[in-house]
Amino acid sequence: METLISNKLLQFVADLGPSKLQVPQSLHAAAQAYLLGQDFPTTKAERFKYTRLAKLANAQLSAAHQLDAAQLEQHCILTDAYTIYVNNDQITIPQNLPVGLEINLNTQVSGTFHEASFYDIFGALNILHAQNGVSIALAKNCTLDKPIQIVQANSGGKYFYRHHFNFGANSEATVYFVSKQQEQTTSFSHTHFQYEIAQDARIKIFKLQDTAQNHFDFNEDRAQQAAKSHFEINTLTLDGSFVRNDTMVAVQGEHAQTYLNGAYWLKEEQHVANYTTIDHQVANCESFETYKGVAGDKATAVFNGKVFVRKDAQKTNAYQSNANVLLSENASVNSKPELEIYADDVKCSHGSTTGQLDENALFYLRARGLSAASAKTLLLQAFMEDVLTYVKHEEVLAYVQQRIAERFNWSY
Amino acid sequence: MIKIENLHASINGKEILKGLDLEVKAGEVHAIMGPNGAGKSTLASVLAGREDYEITAGSVTFLGKDLLELATEDRAREGLFLAFQYPVEIPGVSNVNFLRTALNEKRAYHGQDPISAKDFMALVREKSALVELDAKLASRAVNEGFSGGEKKRNEIFQMAMLEPKLAVLDETDSGLDIDALRIVSQGVNALKSPENACVVITHYQRLLDYIVPDVVHVLYDGKIVKSGPKELALELEERGYDWIKDSL
Ligand SMILES: Nc1ncnc2c1ncn2[C@@H]1O[C@H](COP(=O)(O)OP(=O)(O)O)[C@@H](O)[C@H]1O
Ligand SMILES: [Mg+2]
Repeated sequence: METLISNKLLQFVADLGPSKLQVPQSLHAAAQAYLLGQDFPTTKAERFKYTRLAKLANAQLSAAHQLDAAQLEQHCILTDAYTIYVNNDQITIPQNLPVGLEINLNTQVSGTFHEASFYDIFGALNILHAQNGVSIALAKNCTLDKPIQIVQANSGGKYFYRHHFNFGANSEATVYFVSKQQEQTTSFSHTHFQYEIAQDARIKIFKLQDTAQNHFDFNEDRAQQAAKSHFEINTLTLDGSFVRNDTMVAVQGEHAQTYLNGAYWLKEEQHVANYTTIDHQVANCESFETYKGVAGDKATAVFNGKVFVRKDAQKTNAYQSNANVLLSENASVNSKPELEIYADDVKCSHGSTTGQLDENALFYLRARGLSAASAKTLLLQAFMEDVLTYVKHEEVLAYVQQRIAERFNWSY
Repeated sequence: MIKIENLHASINGKEILKGLDLEVKAGEVHAIMGPNGAGKSTLASVLAGREDYEITAGSVTFLGKDLLELATEDRAREGLFLAFQYPVEIPGVSNVNFLRTALNEKRAYHGQDPISAKDFMALVREKSALVELDAKLASRAVNEGFSGGEKKRNEIFQMAMLEPKLAVLDETDSGLDIDALRIVSQGVNALKSPENACVVITHYQRLLDYIVPDVVHVLYDGKIVKSGPKELALELEERGYDWIKDSL
């Protein structure tokens, strides 16, 4: 059958080769079928209502440019970690790993999250065009002595990455994913993360997103949790003109805990969209989701959080909130919490607020002699402060604070 | 110190202050009393520079400057302090941290160097002791989870830290038990000097047993309608405000 794709999508994929990873036949066919007749989504599409892809379609991406070791190291945030560098076609894997930890190049596109691979065309494109990725396995009962750090240095080109994580039963680890951009390059990346979290595992993922102008940063996280596991994804968007995060967690074992936290500090014309789905499939689980951000200038933030509580997921406790402060009349936030509950004995709450700073508090501080600017800064810092309390790693916290201070003149 | 002449102010098109006159000289303590809704807090807010109010007529001269032309923060830096009737809770903003910023911005305004961390902490200790405010409380988030009395003591603590020329205390005594009242008054009296002045807005004459006023004013329907010596407060306590209304 002839695959009919329109110009924009056709143009976009024209210079992409087939996936360098092995793709199961059925998944390949499904991806092709999904893309059949599709175009770049317009703002009429629900998931792209606030995201204009014209910029991407028209972007002149710079040629992929391989960075040397010294350049890569500069993008590192943690000095003491098992550090993996991902830079276009090149992936560097650390040597001397502890017993129980295996890191390899990813050779296989896994179909574990088959359906959740087709939330949008980019997920399907990733299956067909994945160039690169790592596969990380942590053995059961293994507690990592140091965090894993994956540094994705974007330096031109158009890349689909695919990383797989397999956390064994009762294992414990923290992973920092650092996304940065080499100066004076324009690039696109779509990174697919798969996490399989076995029973009793305790896993924390931190996304430190610090790209700049001219990078199109797409992220797709797919997780499944077994019983009594604890799983966190903390996404901190420090910079980046175009960032989309699409996270789905399937809670499949009882007494599991899920934490999704997000924070964004936006200005200029930044566009940052967070789409999340927590799918409670079984009983007795808890999920906590808190996304918070500030948006100034002409920035746009999107939050779309879905929580499904299926028929069998009795005694689910799901909490979700999204809070935003707008710093300018031209900034905008589109926040949409969605709860779909099919079980009857559950505790779920959700809330979304978008507003300006508290006028009474501003006046109070100014009446003590603080300039309007200092008073605003103090209130904004206070608003975002609790987000930073879950960043326990000192170097990471220092980095985050330094970046916020640089970009917003806040002082820490 | 401050001279208010024919001040008219309105909010949402409703006139609240209707030609208010008041002069306070250095070294003086003035009390303003008056029924609920008379415009006492409005006067305090207008002096502090709250932008919700529209000044339709009149003038306020503070230490030789046109107060109404100054931004809220500059009024504070010039030496005006308002102890709020309802102090705001500001989660996440540390009381002492913001006070250090306030103090240093005030110093910068007057061309002075910032205070050293050591001197600042010494000042915090001294002033929090003055109002018997637990040092731990002093460094917590501004008023968050404070009891009513703690909030009022925190206002006086902040006043002590900032050493204003003119302090306006808006019902700082409301809701205080006798102990707290004594502590707050102590704090205020300790700061009294021939160079500064204080305007005490209150409902109750009992505060004036502790902070003895030179003049007592009655604010009624947006104007000062009567002024007298401290004995006037006693009379108001006994007879209420109706006799004043009748005599207008
Ligand atoms: N935002 C507002 N809009 C309209 N009227 C107001 C507003 N705030 C206060 N007022 C009115 O102003 C008057 C004076 O209030 P206030 O100054 O608080 O009185 P006091 O402190 O003497 O009790 C009252 O009648 C009150 O209802
Ligand atoms: Mg009042």
